[in-house]
Amino acid sequence: MKRILPLCAAAVLALLAHPAQAHIVSSRLGDFYAGAVHPLLTLEDLAQWLALGVLAGMQAPRNGRWVVVAFPLGLVLGAALSRLGVLGAPPELLNSGLLVVLGGLLALALDLPAIAIAALAAVLGVLRGAANLDGLPAAEDAVLVTSGILVSGYAVATLAAAVTLAFRRSGAPWRAAIVRAAGVGVAGMGCALAAFA
Amino acid sequence: MMRCWLLRIAAVLLLAVTFAPAPVHAHEAAVAVLTVKEVRPARFIAKWELAPTFDPRLIRLNFPSQCLWAFPELECRDPGLVGPLGIENLSSNMSAVMLHVQPMQGETQTYTLTAANPRVTLTGAGALSFDGWMELGRTYLNLGIDHILLGIDHLLFVLGLIWIVRGGWRLVKTITAFTVGHSLSLAAAAFGVIGVPEKPLNAVIALSIVFVGVEIARLRRGQEGITVRYPWAVALGFGLVHGIGFAGALVSLGIQRSLLPAALLSFNIGVEIGQLGFVLLVLALLWAHRTLTAELPRWGAALPAYAIGVPAMFWFIGRMVKLLTT
Repeated sequence: MKRILPLCAAAVLALLAHPAQAHIVSSRLGDFYAGAVHPLLTLEDLAQWLALGVLAGMQAPRNGRWVVVAFPLGLVLGAALSRLGVLGAPPELLNSGLLVVLGGLLALALDLPAIAIAALAAVLGVLRGAANLDGLPAAEDAVLVTSGILVSGYAVATLAAAVTLAFRRSGAPWRAAIVRAAGVGVAGMGCALAAFA
Repeated sequence: MMRCWLLRIAAVLLLAVTFAPAPVHAHEAAVAVLTVKEVRPARFIAKWELAPTFDPRLIRLNFPSQCLWAFPELECRDPGLVGPLGIENLSSNMSAVMLHVQPMQGETQTYTLTAANPRVTLTGAGALSFDGWMELGRTYLNLGIDHILLGIDHLLFVLGLIWIVRGGWRLVKTITAFTVGHSLSLAAAAFGVIGVPEKPLNAVIALSIVFVGVEIARLRRGQEGITVRYPWAVALGFGLVHGIGFAGALVSLGIQRSLLPAALLSFNIGVEIGQLGFVLLVLALLWAHRTLTAELPRWGAALPAYAIGVPAMFWFIGRMVKLLTT
């Protein structure tokens, strides 16, 4: 652990000079599907979205369910702020840091209040929404792309939360341990992403 | 009371007219048809029978290397117009280009290029090879998937059925009935047994979604409409209507009759794959909401009915306006 931390820190610092670039994939099915598919093909998006969903699934349902609303709304808000020029793509440091935070929360299996889950989902949504809309080619329809991202984000977070909840509910304590171990993996991925970049 | 209704109707009409020019059609992706006619041995003249919705010069056709292509002329050295044909710049606003090759002697050959399958092999005169059949199947399978995924009105109708029936065997039967209905009418329309003008048909398709939206609203009030009692019958009936709409994409391509059964089968399988994927996604999301106890509050219970019915009503009015004014 002592060796990993300095490595992570060095890698993260090196990343500061390389801001993230959104890269909307062109789709034969149009801008809506391009918006829906693009985040699913981007490791940063997919890892953060899934981690958020799994974290929500680890909470009591009355708290975790807020992710279903807060995350998609955050995505739309982030996309709008990006189009208005208020917010750009977050730096890699922040992306990797968020993965470490999400993984850490999962590993610690903390019971978060509903407001914390909703706030975390909204903040993550805003950042990822802005990242996905940043550098959108003029030919792409921003409304359709955002709609695609919204549907995709809603589906991924909701399904991940429900699957985790169903998996955890079914009894054996090792199931929760597996999810916590996955949290360690997510945090590690955050460090690795920083290092590889 | 009367004034209130008039105001509502005026508002809906205003919105419909506002949205009418927007892309709210069932099948936004257009199709173009290019005919290449042999006027002298190995010399052809091309003509857009159905021009693309945008500048045709943007569509780049790459004919076999032995052919020299400068629209509208095409000249080929030996072995003639055979070999790979590719297309560039197809996108979501142009889903397919159909190429008819009319030789001086023999039957017209038909090839379909889509964004998913932008390369075909020109075989010349003679029977289609195994690879040719596979290519045809792949092309139309992808076209079917694209067609249903871009046909938001068909998906909205299916969503309405799922919302009413929810799950279990009733849903399996209902979706099967919709599939049987649209498959039958798709085949009948593709073979020219039945024919309905596109504009009124699209208006009726929109109306079918409005109907489902109203049924959801009635169900919320505790009234069991015909869709709740006989969902399979409604699905079958409206499936017949939607199938004719699906056929529009095939018929407009003008595919040659000998290839039609295979193309139709592949297209229909593609439509079913897309529809099944959509149904499974919606069912998974409904299950997820139940698991998370994230269900609509009482004040929002009417939301699905309006989310399905309102856009459909806009489409219906927009399509009626288009029907009556052109």
